Amino acid sequence: MISSCGSEEEKKPEISKEVIDPNSSLNAKFDDKIFSIPSPMQMAMLLEESKSPYNEFLLNDLDKVGDYTSEYKKAMNLGIYGTDLGYVSIYKQNSIALKYLSTIEKLTSKLGLEGAFDKDFMTRFEKNSTNKDSMMVIVSDAFKKSDNFLKSNNRKSVSALILVGGWIESMYLACNINKAHANQKILDRIAEQTETLNTIIELLTDYNKKGESDELIKDMKDLKFYFDQITINYEYMEPITNVQKKTTTLRHKTIVTVDSSTLNFINQKIEAIRAKVIE
Amino acid sequence: MKKLALYSIFTLIVGFGANAQDCETLVKDCENILKGKEKNFVSDGQVYTAFLDREKAEFKTTFFGGTTYRIAATAGTDDEYVIFTVKDMQGTVLFTNRKYKNSSYWDFKVPRTIPVIIETELDMDKKITGCAVMMIGFKR
Repeated sequence: MISSCGSEEEKKPEISKEVIDPNSSLNAKFDDKIFSIPSPMQMAMLLEESKSPYNEFLLNDLDKVGDYTSEYKKAMNLGIYGTDLGYVSIYKQNSIALKYLSTIEKLTSKLGLEGAFDKDFMTRFEKNSTNKDSMMVIVSDAFKKSDNFLKSNNRKSVSALILVGGWIESMYLACNINKAHANQKILDRIAEQTETLNTIIELLTDYNKKGESDELIKDMKDLKFYFDQITINYEYMEPITNVQKKTTTLRHKTIVTVDSSTLNFINQKIEAIRAKVIE
Repeated sequence: MKKLALYSIFTLIVGFGANAQDCETLVKDCENILKGKEKNFVSDGQVYTAFLDREKAEFKTTFFGGTTYRIAATAGTDDEYVIFTVKDMQGTVLFTNRKYKNSSYWDFKVPRTIPVIIETELDMDKKITGCAVMMIGFKR
Protein backbone atom coordinates (compact mmCIF):
# COMPACT_ATOMS: atom_id res chain seq x y z
CA MET A 1 0.00 0.00 0.00
CA ILE A 2 1.06 3.41 -1.02
CA SER A 3 0.44 6.91 0.10
CA SER A 4 0.43 10.50 -0.84
CA CYS A 5 -1.19 11.62 2.36
CA GLY A 6 -2.44 9.29 4.99
CA SER A 7 -3.72 9.07 8.49
CA GLU A 8 -0.88 7.65 10.54
CA GLU A 9 1.41 10.61 10.80
CA GLU A 10 0.99 11.46 14.44
CA LYS A 11 1.09 7.82 15.61
CA LYS A 12 4.23 6.32 17.04
CA PRO A 13 5.29 3.14 15.26
CA GLU A 14 3.86 0.04 16.86
CA ILE A 15 5.42 -3.38 16.68
CA SER A 16 3.15 -5.32 14.43
CA LYS A 17 2.52 -9.06 14.75
CA GLU A 18 4.25 -9.57 11.41
CA VAL A 19 7.48 -7.98 12.69
CA ILE A 20 7.43 -9.96 15.92
CA ASP A 21 6.92 -13.06 13.82
CA PRO A 22 10.48 -13.82 12.54
CA ASN A 23 9.03 -15.75 9.59
CA SER A 24 7.25 -12.71 8.30
CA SER A 25 8.66 -10.00 6.06
CA LEU A 26 9.04 -6.50 7.43
CA ASN A 27 5.88 -4.98 6.06
CA ALA A 28 6.06 -1.60 7.71
CA LYS A 29 3.17 0.41 6.35
CA PHE A 30 3.95 4.08 5.93
CA ASP A 31 0.34 4.88 5.44
CA ASP A 32 -2.96 3.47 4.43
CA LYS A 33 -4.38 5.89 1.92
CA ILE A 34 -3.27 7.91 -1.06
CA PHE A 35 -4.81 11.24 -1.96
CA SER A 36 -4.24 13.18 -5.14
CA ILE A 37 -5.31 16.77 -5.74
CA PRO A 38 -4.81 18.14 -9.27
CA SER A 39 -2.23 20.93 -9.53
CA PRO A 40 -3.66 24.47 -9.10
CA MET A 41 -1.16 25.45 -11.77
CA GLN A 42 -3.35 23.75 -14.36
CA MET A 43 -6.26 26.05 -13.46
CA ALA A 44 -4.00 29.10 -13.81
CA MET A 45 -2.87 27.79 -17.21
CA LEU A 46 -6.48 27.39 -18.33
CA LEU A 47 -7.33 30.94 -17.22
CA GLU A 48 -4.45 32.31 -19.25
CA GLU A 49 -5.18 30.10 -22.29
CA SER A 50 -8.80 31.22 -22.32
CA LYS A 51 -7.59 34.83 -22.60
CA SER A 52 -9.16 35.85 -19.32
CA PRO A 53 -7.79 39.22 -18.29
CA TYR A 54 -5.42 39.26 -15.34
CA ASN A 55 -7.09 40.50 -12.15
CA GLU A 56 -4.78 41.49 -9.30
CA PHE A 57 -7.69 42.28 -6.99
CA LEU A 58 -8.54 38.59 -6.68
CA LEU A 59 -5.24 37.75 -4.99
CA ASN A 60 -4.89 37.34 -1.24
CA ASP A 61 -3.48 40.44 0.45
CA LEU A 62 0.22 40.03 1.23
CA ASP A 63 -0.04 42.08 4.40
CA LYS A 64 -2.25 39.42 5.97
CA VAL A 65 0.65 36.99 6.28
CA GLY A 66 1.43 38.19 9.81
CA ASP A 67 -2.11 37.27 10.93
CA TYR A 68 -1.58 33.59 10.23
CA THR A 69 -0.13 32.33 13.49
CA SER A 70 -1.39 28.76 13.86
CA GLU A 71 0.16 25.92 11.82
CA TYR A 72 -3.29 25.28 10.34
CA LYS A 73 -3.64 28.87 9.06
CA LYS A 74 -0.05 29.01 7.86
CA ALA A 75 -0.38 25.80 5.86
CA MET A 76 -3.76 26.68 4.32
CA ASN A 77 -2.55 30.13 3.33
CA LEU A 78 0.70 28.79 1.96
CA GLY A 79 -1.52 26.87 -0.47
CA ILE A 80 -3.49 30.07 -1.18
CA TYR A 81 -0.37 32.20 -1.78
CA GLY A 82 1.24 29.37 -3.77
CA THR A 83 -1.69 29.34 -6.20
CA ASP A 84 -1.56 33.14 -6.40
CA LEU A 85 2.15 32.89 -7.20
CA GLY A 86 1.38 30.41 -9.99
CA TYR A 87 -1.34 32.74 -11.33
CA VAL A 88 0.84 35.89 -11.38
CA SER A 89 3.78 33.93 -12.84
CA ILE A 90 1.72 32.58 -15.72
CA TYR A 91 0.53 36.12 -16.45
CA LYS A 92 4.20 37.29 -16.28
CA GLN A 93 3.57 39.78 -13.47
CA ASN A 94 7.21 39.55 -12.44
CA SER A 95 7.43 42.28 -9.81
CA ILE A 96 4.27 41.03 -8.09
CA ALA A 97 5.51 37.44 -8.34
CA LEU A 98 8.64 38.40 -6.41
CA LYS A 99 6.51 39.96 -3.65
CA TYR A 100 4.41 36.78 -3.39
CA LEU A 101 7.57 34.76 -3.35
CA SER A 102 8.95 36.77 -0.46
CA THR A 103 5.70 36.18 1.49
CA ILE A 104 5.81 32.48 0.71
CA GLU A 105 9.38 32.40 1.99
CA LYS A 106 8.20 33.84 5.32
CA LEU A 107 5.46 31.22 5.63
CA THR A 108 7.67 28.31 4.60
CA SER A 109 10.29 29.40 7.10
CA LYS A 110 7.68 29.46 9.88
CA LEU A 111 6.57 25.99 8.80
CA GLY A 112 10.16 24.68 8.79
CA LEU A 113 10.20 24.26 5.01
CA GLU A 114 13.15 26.48 4.11
CA GLY A 115 14.72 23.68 2.06
CA ALA A 116 12.06 23.85 -0.66
CA PHE A 117 12.37 27.59 -1.22
CA ASP A 118 16.13 27.89 -0.76
CA LYS A 119 18.76 30.10 -2.42
CA ASP A 120 18.92 27.82 -5.44
CA PHE A 121 15.18 28.18 -5.91
CA MET A 122 15.34 31.98 -5.59
CA THR A 123 18.16 32.19 -8.14
CA ARG A 124 16.27 29.97 -10.61
CA PHE A 125 13.12 32.01 -10.05
CA GLU A 126 14.79 35.38 -10.62
CA LYS A 127 16.75 34.15 -13.66
CA ASN A 128 13.65 32.77 -15.35
CA SER A 129 11.10 35.37 -14.29
CA THR A 130 10.30 36.33 -17.89
CA ASN A 131 9.63 32.77 -19.03
CA LYS A 132 6.21 31.56 -17.86
CA ASP A 133 6.93 27.90 -18.76
CA SER A 134 10.09 27.88 -16.67
CA MET A 135 8.34 29.68 -13.82
CA MET A 136 5.62 27.03 -13.81
CA VAL A 137 8.22 24.26 -13.55
CA ILE A 138 10.18 26.06 -10.83
CA VAL A 139 7.12 26.76 -8.66
CA SER A 140 5.78 23.20 -9.13
CA ASP A 141 9.19 21.75 -8.25
CA ALA A 142 9.35 23.82 -5.05
CA PHE A 143 5.91 22.64 -3.94
CA LYS A 144 6.81 19.05 -4.83
CA LYS A 145 9.96 19.38 -2.73
CA SER A 146 8.00 20.69 0.26
CA ASP A 147 5.34 17.97 -0.21
CA ASN A 148 8.04 15.29 -0.18
CA PHE A 149 9.79 16.85 2.82
CA LEU A 150 6.57 17.02 4.86
CA LYS A 151 5.52 13.49 3.97
CA SER A 152 8.90 11.99 4.78
CA ASN A 153 8.97 13.85 8.10
CA ASN A 154 5.62 12.63 9.35
CA ARG A 155 3.91 15.96 8.72
CA LYS A 156 1.41 14.76 6.17
CA SER A 157 -1.40 16.78 7.72
CA VAL A 158 0.47 20.01 6.89
CA SER A 159 1.02 18.78 3.34
CA ALA A 160 -2.72 18.05 3.08
CA LEU A 161 -3.70 21.56 4.24
CA ILE A 162 -1.36 23.20 1.69
CA LEU A 163 -3.02 21.17 -1.08
CA VAL A 164 -6.53 22.05 0.14
CA GLY A 165 -5.64 25.77 0.39
CA GLY A 166 -4.27 25.64 -3.15
CA TRP A 167 -7.46 24.05 -4.45
CA ILE A 168 -9.72 26.60 -2.73
CA GLU A 169 -7.77 29.49 -4.25
CA SER A 170 -7.77 27.98 -7.74
CA MET A 171 -11.56 27.53 -7.52
CA TYR A 172 -11.95 31.08 -6.19
CA LEU A 173 -9.96 32.50 -9.11
CA ALA A 174 -11.85 30.40 -11.68
CA CYS A 175 -15.32 31.21 -10.26
CA ASN A 176 -14.66 34.95 -10.11
CA ILE A 177 -13.03 35.16 -13.51
CA ASN A 178 -15.88 33.17 -15.03
CA LYS A 179 -18.42 35.43 -13.32
CA ALA A 180 -16.79 38.50 -14.87
CA HIS A 181 -16.04 36.97 -18.29
CA ALA A 182 -18.14 33.85 -18.87
CA ASN A 183 -16.12 31.18 -20.60
CA GLN A 184 -17.31 27.64 -21.39
CA LYS A 185 -13.93 26.02 -20.75
CA ILE A 186 -13.61 27.61 -17.32
CA LEU A 187 -17.20 26.74 -16.46
CA ASP A 188 -16.61 23.10 -17.46
CA ARG A 189 -13.42 23.01 -15.38
CA ILE A 190 -15.31 24.28 -12.32
CA ALA A 191 -18.03 21.68 -12.85
CA GLU A 192 -15.47 18.88 -13.25
CA GLN A 193 -14.23 19.17 -9.65
CA THR A 194 -16.71 16.74 -8.07
CA GLU A 195 -14.24 13.90 -7.56
CA THR A 196 -11.54 16.28 -6.30
CA LEU A 197 -14.00 17.69 -3.78
CA ASN A 198 -14.81 14.16 -2.59
CA THR A 199 -11.08 13.53 -2.15
CA ILE A 200 -10.67 16.81 -0.24
CA ILE A 201 -13.48 15.92 2.19
CA GLU A 202 -11.90 12.49 2.77
CA LEU A 203 -8.43 14.00 3.17
CA LEU A 204 -9.55 16.66 5.67
CA THR A 205 -11.54 14.10 7.64
CA ASP A 206 -8.58 11.73 7.86
CA TYR A 207 -6.35 14.47 9.28
CA ASN A 208 -8.85 16.08 11.57
CA LYS A 209 -7.53 14.50 14.77
CA LYS A 210 -7.69 17.77 16.72
CA GLY A 211 -10.97 18.96 15.19
CA GLU A 212 -9.37 22.04 13.57
CA SER A 213 -11.03 21.27 10.25
CA ASP A 214 -14.54 20.64 11.62
CA GLU A 215 -15.97 23.84 10.18
CA LEU A 216 -14.13 23.50 6.87
CA ILE A 217 -15.34 19.90 6.46
CA LYS A 218 -18.92 21.04 7.10
CA ASP A 219 -18.51 23.82 4.52
CA MET A 220 -17.02 21.39 2.01
CA LYS A 221 -19.93 19.01 2.54
CA ASP A 222 -22.34 21.90 1.90
CA LEU A 223 -20.39 22.64 -1.27
CA LYS A 224 -20.66 18.98 -2.26
CA PHE A 225 -24.46 19.26 -2.07
CA TYR A 226 -24.29 21.72 -5.00
CA PHE A 227 -21.70 19.70 -6.90
CA ASP A 228 -24.01 16.71 -6.64
CA GLN A 229 -26.58 18.67 -8.70
CA ILE A 230 -24.18 18.61 -11.66
CA THR A 231 -24.79 15.76 -14.07
CA ILE A 232 -21.95 14.15 -15.95
CA ASN A 233 -22.84 11.57 -18.58
CA TYR A 234 -19.92 9.33 -19.34
CA GLU A 235 -19.61 6.87 -22.20
CA TYR A 236 -16.63 4.54 -22.39
CA MET A 237 -14.80 4.16 -25.69
CA GLU A 238 -11.73 1.99 -26.04
CA PRO A 239 -8.51 4.03 -25.80
CA ILE A 240 -5.85 3.81 -28.54
CA THR A 241 -2.29 2.99 -27.53
CA ASN A 242 0.85 3.86 -29.47
CA VAL A 243 3.51 1.55 -28.04
CA GLN A 244 6.47 3.23 -29.76
CA LYS A 245 5.52 6.62 -28.35
CA LYS A 246 4.44 5.13 -25.02
CA THR A 247 1.22 7.06 -25.31
CA THR A 248 -2.42 6.14 -24.79
CA THR A 249 -5.13 8.42 -26.13
CA LEU A 250 -8.39 8.28 -24.20
CA ARG A 251 -11.53 8.47 -26.34
CA HIS A 252 -14.46 8.47 -23.91
CA LYS A 253 -17.35 10.88 -24.29
CA THR A 254 -18.64 13.07 -21.48
CA ILE A 255 -21.41 15.63 -21.29
CA VAL A 256 -21.41 17.97 -18.29
CA THR A 257 -24.67 19.71 -17.41
CA VAL A 258 -24.80 22.45 -14.81
CA ASP A 259 -27.52 25.06 -14.46
CA SER A 260 -26.79 28.70 -13.69
CA SER A 261 -28.38 28.69 -10.20
CA THR A 262 -26.17 25.73 -9.14
CA LEU A 263 -23.15 27.57 -10.48
CA ASN A 264 -24.16 30.69 -8.52
CA PHE A 265 -24.44 28.67 -5.31
CA ILE A 266 -21.01 27.13 -5.96
CA ASN A 267 -19.53 30.62 -6.54
CA GLN A 268 -21.03 31.93 -3.31
CA LYS A 269 -19.95 28.93 -1.26
CA ILE A 270 -16.38 29.01 -2.59
CA GLU A 271 -16.20 32.72 -1.83
CA ALA A 272 -17.44 32.15 1.73
CA ILE A 273 -15.01 29.25 2.35
CA ARG A 274 -12.07 31.23 1.00
CA ALA A 275 -13.02 34.27 3.12
CA LYS A 276 -12.84 32.13 6.29
CA VAL A 277 -9.47 30.66 5.30
CA ILE A 278 -7.79 34.01 4.59
CA GLU A 279 -9.34 36.00 7.46
CA MET B 1 11.40 -13.98 24.46
CA LYS B 2 12.96 -10.78 25.77
CA LYS B 3 15.78 -11.16 23.21
CA LEU B 4 13.26 -11.67 20.43
CA ALA B 5 11.34 -8.54 21.45
CA LEU B 6 14.55 -6.47 21.51
CA TYR B 7 15.57 -7.88 18.13
CA SER B 8 12.16 -7.00 16.75
CA ILE B 9 12.33 -3.42 18.02
CA PHE B 10 15.83 -3.06 16.54
CA THR B 11 14.66 -4.50 13.21
CA LEU B 12 11.69 -2.19 13.20
CA ILE B 13 13.75 0.94 13.83
CA VAL B 14 16.49 -0.01 11.36
CA GLY B 15 13.85 -1.15 8.88
CA PHE B 16 11.93 2.13 9.05
CA GLY B 17 15.18 4.07 8.57
CA ALA B 18 16.24 1.96 5.62
CA ASN B 19 12.81 2.19 4.00
CA ALA B 20 12.71 5.97 4.36
CA GLN B 21 16.20 6.19 2.85
CA ASP B 22 15.24 3.87 -0.03
CA CYS B 23 12.21 6.02 -0.76
CA GLU B 24 14.28 9.21 -0.74
CA THR B 25 16.69 7.83 -3.36
CA LEU B 26 13.80 6.68 -5.50
CA VAL B 27 12.14 10.11 -5.42
CA LYS B 28 15.10 11.53 -7.36
CA ASP B 29 14.96 8.67 -9.89
CA CYS B 30 11.24 9.12 -10.32
CA GLU B 31 11.69 12.87 -10.92
CA ASN B 32 14.09 12.09 -13.76
CA ILE B 33 11.69 9.59 -15.29
CA LEU B 34 8.84 12.11 -15.07
CA LYS B 35 10.84 14.89 -16.70
CA GLY B 36 12.23 12.65 -19.46
CA LYS B 37 14.79 13.76 -22.05
CA GLU B 38 12.68 16.62 -23.34
CA LYS B 39 11.90 17.93 -19.86
CA ASN B 40 8.47 19.09 -20.92
CA PHE B 41 6.36 17.67 -18.10
CA VAL B 42 5.46 19.68 -15.03
CA SER B 43 4.88 17.84 -11.76
CA ASP B 44 1.47 18.11 -10.08
CA GLY B 45 3.48 19.10 -6.98
CA GLN B 46 2.90 15.83 -5.11
CA VAL B 47 5.04 12.77 -4.38
CA TYR B 48 3.21 9.49 -3.94
CA THR B 49 5.40 7.24 -1.82
CA ALA B 50 4.72 3.96 -0.09
CA PHE B 51 6.05 0.70 1.09
CA LEU B 52 4.37 -2.00 -0.97
CA ASP B 53 4.03 -5.50 0.31
CA ARG B 54 1.90 -7.96 -1.67
CA GLU B 55 -0.93 -5.47 -1.68
CA LYS B 56 -2.38 -3.20 -4.32
CA ALA B 57 -2.69 0.46 -3.55
CA GLU B 58 -5.12 2.73 -5.32
CA PHE B 59 -6.09 6.36 -5.42
CA LYS B 60 -8.38 8.61 -7.41
CA THR B 61 -7.43 11.65 -9.42
CA THR B 62 -8.85 13.68 -12.26
CA PHE B 63 -7.28 14.02 -15.68
CA PHE B 64 -8.49 17.28 -17.19
CA GLY B 65 -9.44 17.56 -20.86
CA GLY B 66 -6.98 19.06 -23.33
CA THR B 67 -3.98 17.86 -21.34
CA THR B 68 -1.30 15.20 -21.83
CA TYR B 69 -0.37 13.53 -18.55
CA ARG B 70 2.60 11.38 -17.66
CA ILE B 71 2.59 8.78 -14.91
CA ALA B 72 6.07 7.79 -13.72
CA ALA B 73 6.80 5.07 -11.19
CA THR B 74 9.83 3.30 -9.79
CA ALA B 75 10.77 0.84 -7.08
CA GLY B 76 14.44 0.47 -8.07
CA THR B 77 16.76 1.16 -10.97
CA ASP B 78 17.78 -2.44 -11.76
CA ASP B 79 14.48 -3.43 -13.30
CA GLU B 80 10.90 -2.26 -13.92
CA TYR B 81 9.21 -3.40 -10.73
CA VAL B 82 6.04 -1.31 -10.55
CA ILE B 83 2.80 -2.23 -12.28
CA PHE B 84 0.32 0.60 -12.62
CA THR B 85 -3.18 0.39 -13.97
CA VAL B 86 -5.50 3.26 -14.87
CA LYS B 87 -9.24 2.60 -14.64
CA ASP B 88 -12.34 4.72 -15.14
CA MET B 89 -14.74 5.14 -12.23
CA GLN B 90 -16.73 2.11 -13.43
CA GLY B 91 -13.62 0.00 -13.02
CA THR B 92 -12.95 -0.48 -16.73
CA VAL B 93 -9.23 -0.75 -17.41
CA LEU B 94 -8.06 2.08 -19.66
CA PHE B 95 -4.38 1.15 -19.50
CA THR B 96 -1.93 -1.08 -17.68
CA ASN B 97 1.84 -1.00 -18.08
CA ARG B 98 1.84 -4.74 -17.31
CA LYS B 99 1.27 -5.24 -21.06
CA TYR B 100 4.36 -3.18 -21.86
CA LYS B 101 7.10 -4.76 -19.71
CA ASN B 102 6.08 -2.61 -16.72
CA SER B 103 7.29 0.53 -18.50
CA SER B 104 8.40 3.05 -15.87
CA TYR B 105 6.35 5.80 -17.49
CA TRP B 106 3.44 6.25 -19.83
CA ASP B 107 1.76 9.29 -21.38
CA PHE B 108 -1.99 9.85 -21.63
CA LYS B 109 -3.59 12.20 -24.10
CA VAL B 110 -6.86 13.30 -22.54
CA PRO B 111 -9.23 15.14 -24.88
CA ARG B 112 -12.07 15.21 -22.31
CA THR B 113 -11.93 15.34 -18.54
CA ILE B 114 -12.14 12.01 -16.73
CA PRO B 115 -11.84 11.02 -13.07
CA VAL B 116 -9.66 7.92 -12.85
CA ILE B 117 -8.54 5.30 -10.39
CA ILE B 118 -4.80 4.55 -10.38
CA GLU B 119 -3.87 1.16 -9.01
CA THR B 120 -0.27 0.35 -8.08
CA GLU B 121 1.45 -2.89 -7.15
CA LEU B 122 4.85 -4.52 -7.28
CA ASP B 123 5.52 -7.17 -9.91
CA MET B 124 5.71 -10.19 -7.62
CA ASP B 125 7.93 -12.07 -10.09
CA LYS B 126 10.60 -9.40 -9.62
CA LYS B 127 10.17 -7.92 -6.16
CA ILE B 128 7.92 -8.85 -3.30
CA THR B 129 8.42 -5.94 -0.98
CA GLY B 130 9.88 -2.42 -1.07
CA CYS B 131 9.36 1.26 -1.47
CA ALA B 132 7.57 2.52 -4.55
CA VAL B 133 7.41 6.11 -5.72
CA MET B 134 4.97 7.52 -8.24
CA MET B 135 4.66 10.98 -9.75
CA ILE B 136 2.15 12.56 -12.09
CA GLY B 137 2.97 15.39 -14.45
CA PHE B 138 1.24 17.34 -17.20
CA LYS B 139 2.75 18.52 -20.48
CA ARG B 140 3.62 22.18 -20.87
